[in-house]
Order: sequence, then C-alpha cells, then structure tokens
Amino acid sequence: MEQSHALIQLPGIPSFVTYSWLAMIILVTAAVIFRTTMELVPRGFQNFIETLVEALYDLCEENLGHHWAETLFPLIGTLGLYILVCNLMGLLPGFDCPTANINTTASCAAPVFLVTHFYGLKVHKLSYLKHFVGPIRSVPAIPLMALMFVVEVIGHIARPLTLSVRLFGNMISKHLILGVLALLAPAIIPTAILGLGVLVSVVQAFVFVLLTILYLSGAVAESH
Amino acid sequence: MKKTGLTVVLFLLLLTIIAPAVFAGEAGTEAPAVTAVTANANINYYSMAALACGIAIGVAAMGAGIGQGLGLGKACEGVSRNPGASGKITTTLIIGLAMIESLAIYALVVVLIILFMNPFHI
Repeated sequence: MEQSHALIQLPGIPSFVTYSWLAMIILVTAAVIFRTTMELVPRGFQNFIETLVEALYDLCEENLGHHWAETLFPLIGTLGLYILVCNLMGLLPGFDCPTANINTTASCAAPVFLVTHFYGLKVHKLSYLKHFVGPIRSVPAIPLMALMFVVEVIGHIARPLTLSVRLFGNMISKHLILGVLALLAPAIIPTAILGLGVLVSVVQAFVFVLLTILYLSGAVAESH
Repeated sequence: MKKTGLTVVLFLLLLTIIAPAVFAGEAGTEAPAVTAVTANANINYYSMAALACGIAIGVAAMGAGIGQGLGLGKACEGVSRNPGASGKITTTLIIGLAMIESLAIYALVVVLIILFMNPFHI
C-alpha cells in the first residue's frame, strides 16, 4: 500500500498525515471566520456552530460539573470536532481518511489516557489509588482489594486501546465494505453504504467524545 | 435448548480437530526442495487462517446481532410505554448499539491482522 489514491500527496509524507493537516486547516479557518464575523443574533453558519458547541458543552457539564467542564472542554471539543471532520473526509472521493489509520486514532486516544490520570492525581493526590481498589476498603478485604486492583489496571490499560481500535475498525470497515461492494455491484448499493457511512462517522465521533467525558468524570469526581 | 447448544459446540470442536488433518492431506506432497516445504507451510498457514477468520467473523456477528437485538427490543418496549421519552431512549439506544458493534469490530481487526499482516512471517 505504498501509493495511495489520494489527491494531495506531498513527497515523503504519508497521505493520512497530509489529510489530517487538511482537517486542521479546515477547522482553524472555520473558527477564524466564526470569530471575525460574530453577531449577537446568530444566523446560518454561526447558528449551526453554536448549536453544536452548546450541545457538546451541555453534555460536558451534565457529567463533569461546572468547574471541570470549563477546564476540560477545550480538549473534549477539539477531539470531537477533529474526529468528526476526519471521519467525514473519508466519504469524499479522492480524499484519504486520517482516522482510517491506527496512528491517528491512537494519537487521539493517548491524550485522553494521560489527561485522566493527570487530573485524577491532581485532584485526589495519592488517594487516587483508592479508585482502583474497589468498593470495600478494610483490612479483612485485602484479597478482594488486590484482585480488584489487578482487574482495574487491566481495565484502565484497555481504555485507550479500545478507544483507538473502535474508531479505527469502524472507519476501515466502512472503506473495505465500500471497496468490495464497488467491485461487486457498482453505482446503487455503494451509495446506500455511503449513507450508512455518514451515520457511522457521526456516531463514532460522538461515542468517542462521550466515553472521554465519562472517563474524565470517573477520574475527577469528588467522592461523597 | 441445552441439547442443541451442546450439539453445536461439539460440532465446532470436531471441525477444528479434523481440519488440520484434512488440509495437510490435500496440501502435503513429499517434495525434497526447501521451496516446496515453505510453500506447504504457506498453504497450511493460509488454509488455517482462512478457516479461523471465517469462523471468527461469523461468531462475532452472531454475538453482536443477539446483543443489539435484545437492546433494540427493550428500547422499542420503552418507547411504546412512554412515547414522550422517545428522544432520550433513541439517543441511549444509538450509543448502546455503537458500543456493542465495537466488539464485532475488534474481531474484524484481528481477522484483518491475520489475513493481511502475516504476523508470523511465514
């Protein structure tokens, strides 16, 4: 798979990297346009962006609480919009899909892992380890606590793995199905799969963001 | 119910035990050259890989189908009991379906690795 079919190809740089740069350029340009032409009463494009951002922020605030939603919303919003744009770019002919490569998805999942543990340690300091130990914390329950610790560590390591593989698997399976069906039964049936592809792209971006929010809320939640 | 489940499991076990003998029988001719031995190993690996990948995707799709069907059924029941909550129920349903689907996607990723990445460098 040396030479991909993408339109924009820079020498020496894989096409999924150049298309991730294209996604970044699209997002930054849209943000700059939005900032410079902001009006008090939103219309059109501004209305759409405001709805999207407000829905995302409400989702954050529901699960994280007001203070942490303010701190963590830039990360969550960036991940969500970047993954959404990358997923949708894969549907256009001639464009390569950055998230159809495990490198891009792992690069989206690794910060989530690091940020959960960083903020968990920052809020709870050393009693963050109590999260790993399970519901019963007393001296007679030490075997249970040890077992729960092992299971929780495995679960925590599985989180960035599943985040990246879920997104990657969905995108690559969408491309494979489109490719195979285009060989078998061109023109009508692949169009239906393209519709399914739009749904899958949006849903997978949303699921990534939702899981990020849930993991972060599990890490920074004040115990009561 | 228990008897049919047991029969299915025993049949699959029988298949996996007999398969290497079958494929070795039809692919193994006694050629002295090294390339023939490597070709034999290639055919053996790929025949086993093809069988494993077919079974893996079939079982994964079966499990995901059952799980999603159960979830969907309960969601329809919830909407029929309380049509006003249909927006929230639909959102929760879509999220749940995506999570269950991702388990079948993990199986697909393993299958793709076995078929295209040649993990044992045969």
